[in-house]
Amino acid sequence: MFKYIAKRLGQSVLILLLGSLVLYVLVINSGDPLEDLRESNDPNRENRIQARIANMNLDLPWYTRYLTWLGGAARCVIGQCDLGTSRDGQSVTALVTQAASATLRLVIVATLAAIIIGITLGIVSAVRQYSGFDYGVTLMAFVFFSLPVFWFAVLLKHYAAIQFNDWLPAGQISLRTILISAAVIAFILQAALGGHWKRRLATFGVIFVIVGGVLFYMDAVEWLRRPAVGLPIYILAVIGLAVLVIVLTSGFKNPRVRNAVFATAGIAIVGYAVMRPTLMAERTDPETFRGATLLLLGCLVAGVVLAVLAGQLLGGFSRRQATGAAVVTSLFSSALAFADLMLSHWSGYLAVMPRPIPTIAAVTPNFYSTYWNHMIDTATHLILPTVALTAISIAAYTRYTRASMLDVLNQDYIRTARSKGIAERKVITRHALRNGLIPIATIVAFDFAGLIGGAVITETVFGWQGMGNLFRVGLEQVDPAPVMGFFLVTGSAAVLMNLVADLAYAILDPRITG
Amino acid sequence: MKLKGTASLALLLTGALFLGACTSDTDPGDDGTQASETATASPTAGGSESPSEGETGGEGATDDPCEQPLGITESQEGEVRYTAGPGNWNGYNATTNATYSTYNNAIAGMMFTGFTYFGVDGTICDNTTFGTYEVTSEDPMVVEYTISDDAVWSDGTPVTINDYLLDWAAQNPEFLVPGLASGENPEATPVFDHVSLSLAEKVPDGPQGEVGSKTFTLEYANPDPDFKINVTTALPAHVAAEQSGLTPEELAQAILDKDAETVKQVAEFWNTGWIYEPGELPSDMGTVPSSGPYVLKEGGWQAGTALTLTQNESYWGEPPATKEIVFRFLEDAGQAQALQNGDVQVIEPQATVDTVAQLQALAPAITVEQGSELTWEHLDYNFLESSPFSDAKGGKALREAFAYCVPRQTIVDNLIKPIDPEAVVMNAREVFPFQDNYEEVVSAAYDGRYDEVDLDKARELVEQSGVATPVTIRIGYRSGNQRRTETVAQIKASCDQVGFQIEDINAEDFFANALVNGDFDIALYAWAGSGQITSGQNIYASNGQQNNQGYANEKVDAAWKALSSTLDEAEQLEQTKIIETELWNDLFGLPLYAHPGVTAYDSNLQNVRPTATQSGVVWNAYQWVAAS
Repeated sequence: MFKYIAKRLGQSVLILLLGSLVLYVLVINSGDPLEDLRESNDPNRENRIQARIANMNLDLPWYTRYLTWLGGAARCVIGQCDLGTSRDGQSVTALVTQAASATLRLVIVATLAAIIIGITLGIVSAVRQYSGFDYGVTLMAFVFFSLPVFWFAVLLKHYAAIQFNDWLPAGQISLRTILISAAVIAFILQAALGGHWKRRLATFGVIFVIVGGVLFYMDAVEWLRRPAVGLPIYILAVIGLAVLVIVLTSGFKNPRVRNAVFATAGIAIVGYAVMRPTLMAERTDPETFRGATLLLLGCLVAGVVLAVLAGQLLGGFSRRQATGAAVVTSLFSSALAFADLMLSHWSGYLAVMPRPIPTIAAVTPNFYSTYWNHMIDTATHLILPTVALTAISIAAYTRYTRASMLDVLNQDYIRTARSKGIAERKVITRHALRNGLIPIATIVAFDFAGLIGGAVITETVFGWQGMGNLFRVGLEQVDPAPVMGFFLVTGSAAVLMNLVADLAYAILDPRITG
Repeated sequence: MKLKGTASLALLLTGALFLGACTSDTDPGDDGTQASETATASPTAGGSESPSEGETGGEGATDDPCEQPLGITESQEGEVRYTAGPGNWNGYNATTNATYSTYNNAIAGMMFTGFTYFGVDGTICDNTTFGTYEVTSEDPMVVEYTISDDAVWSDGTPVTINDYLLDWAAQNPEFLVPGLASGENPEATPVFDHVSLSLAEKVPDGPQGEVGSKTFTLEYANPDPDFKINVTTALPAHVAAEQSGLTPEELAQAILDKDAETVKQVAEFWNTGWIYEPGELPSDMGTVPSSGPYVLKEGGWQAGTALTLTQNESYWGEPPATKEIVFRFLEDAGQAQALQNGDVQVIEPQATVDTVAQLQALAPAITVEQGSELTWEHLDYNFLESSPFSDAKGGKALREAFAYCVPRQTIVDNLIKPIDPEAVVMNAREVFPFQDNYEEVVSAAYDGRYDEVDLDKARELVEQSGVATPVTIRIGYRSGNQRRTETVAQIKASCDQVGFQIEDINAEDFFANALVNGDFDIALYAWAGSGQITSGQNIYASNGQQNNQGYANEKVDAAWKALSSTLDEAEQLEQTKIIETELWNDLFGLPLYAHPGVTAYDSNLQNVRPTATQSGVVWNAYQWVAAS
């Protein structure tokens, strides 16, 4: 194994080296770095041209410039990166660091959401092959796949930001909106859940009433302006979550998994009830923000550790499944708790920011407020680009997962499992899913490598200055340093993730080992 | 559009899925909000849009191109938000080659004041709050400057000759770098990374006066009609001196004494000490004082997001109307919606038919003002022998034929009027249609003969020129500009009928290759006005640095010489008329139009005044204030 990894890494370094050479030559030949000065009749023109030639070493042959860059980049190995300076005199190392952090913030949530939603939709549509739901998902997948992101972003900004902000201060949800929304959601869910027409009708009815009721309630208490979840609803939600997890994993008949999940849910409820006042506390001093973040992360880690313990101690012979189920329960109840904390501060945030959803940038400039208001501020800035990115990348995951699941579901061993009388749920979750996900692992790995490269169009439309922007501006200015900085990060990420994908394959698929 | 069907389907579906609760058509509350907005905004916006269109250069209420004092005594709490487009602020010193950009200059404009500034039509206005100047002698030309006694940096240090001494020394004068400013030593490398050498070149001995004095004199080697914009704002010399281990007096004295070794110590800080890594303002905010209405706000720079300036409490002039101004970094693509959502309040996007229509749809909550910029589009003939327009080949007859067939009015009507309804065909090179003396210059220089397309005459002239038809004319410009592509198409449609064969040779590297090598017959590009009276000398005089097409005319050379050596404005105007007349007679090229510009702002904001100059609408941002 070690030899294999070493060999792969050696190859990767070689590829990066060749790639950097090709890219460098392409960039410096992609245009004229003095373009903007040539059209100018500024009296300083000659002087500025001379200065730029000197600053960017345009008078040196290309190989000298490349080797100078390579020399600086090679020092990254000893932790002293020198990626040169951009045309505007800024250190590229600093620019890359800033751009990478902006990009990661922007794409990580979107990619995770796309993976979770996309794979779920893919599985369901594979299980319900050739049903209305399957066709619906297929249609939507193609719609989103072919969606120009800038156009979708403009629509989102118009409806979800400008119109929503206009509506929010006094808006009411009309009865017609409630009815239509409830009907649409109920229709989609009954199609996904499937069954005999009587069952479908019942599903539709129940969901219609629930969604309609919730919307009506939200409207009546002005929930969108003064949302509250609070402990009682949190407790109900966590119990519901636990039931769902049990149904999806082992079913109620396995007491070990059931106990582990319920124990985790109990811990989550008690833990949150104890910690909520501390977490809710008003913090305005930026010095304490770090501590608050650490506290939140600490709670999350503690929850997961306790879940693992519960799974191991109560799981018995289903220890593995119990642990998995408990950890999932713990993660989702933490997410619920986080949502509760955010929502509880929403009305406070609205008081300072009457138009909460912005169309641009990553933070509100000069915003000095409490810890949770800063959290919400980050979230409101993230929401539109995240939705845009998620919507376009869900499609691919859905299609891949569906194809791969269908492949597995039609195999002989699945038929054998069914004929032995194993419950359909178990056939899918235990026997089909795991094998079906193996090819997806490769795609996920590549996607993570690609995400650091940034989403050029999304960044541009939403005014984020991330990796994509760095690359684009560098290329426009025919300035090799930022472009090469971009290449170094994205190229290394691609190579590394490629390796990770290969290793993950070996773990997921026992046939490959050795 | 290919995606139309899919798009409307997607709109329908996503609308139902994601936005169920907040689409506008189903919510009566939404209409209510908009109605109330309309009611509050209409009195201002309704009146301000139509009269502004009648004005040239885009200004509204007043004809005076200079700043109008508002009588503000106290700044209003709050902030105004502006975007100058994409790009980043990266330095307090915006005069180095690395930091000289529209963005940095816009922000520097709020932090530094000087003796002069540009009014909205390009007029040079005097800033008497800062100081005064006077020409005390014409031969040799001596200008005496007096800085206001009240003028201080925000740290309390008075603004004095010391700052202007460094301003001059930073332009690498002879004593510092022998042979550079005079051009005698092509190998000379500058010590200071300053964008300009002009002051060092024109004023060889630098500012004269006592160290720490409020007055100083400049003695020019040759009379210079552009003296008003040679000396404007200056950087704080006391900071540069202290950061380099000198006292301010030592530095000033060293410059007066021409002590190169001492002055060189300051260069490193001057070149790099005022440039920052993204988002990191200096830990010592004392190194970035202001002599203007605003000063950098501590912690006010979020890299890639915004830079905030706050009121300079020590500013001796009229305080800024609003306490803080936020500069946001934003691509054109998102500006209109950001304005609509209130994320920014003033925008100045690239003027295209689409942006104008999109912004006008937002009235009355948003006010849109259209106007011209100090940048003008032109077609230049190639006089070099390789071109059919050279005197050796088709000569003047062929140039005239081309001038008769180029549909200048149609080009303006089709491509520019949709953006700026007031746009006109430009008939001069040194003055713009919205400037006061335009009519006078044009009526003296040009009789209007090329206003109308005359194909018969053009055909006749092509025959007369004796070139074999069809004669191929290569029109070159930089690729990627749709407006220029369409301009060439219009010219082709007209000129191909009279014996020309127009060939579009646009190239990505047009400026680097074809233009400098003379590998074109007609060059299509724009000059941006620099505000200088004499900058055209480079272009039109024989052997001028930017005379790419080999044009030579002794009368023009003589007129430029006369113009650049007189301070008499009437005389300057006379020489301009001679130059324009000769350029029309020889058909140096055909001016087309001044570039259109568009500014849009929150109708609730007062005193926003678009300008034709490159400083942009932000030029008077310290007067912007929300209506209370």
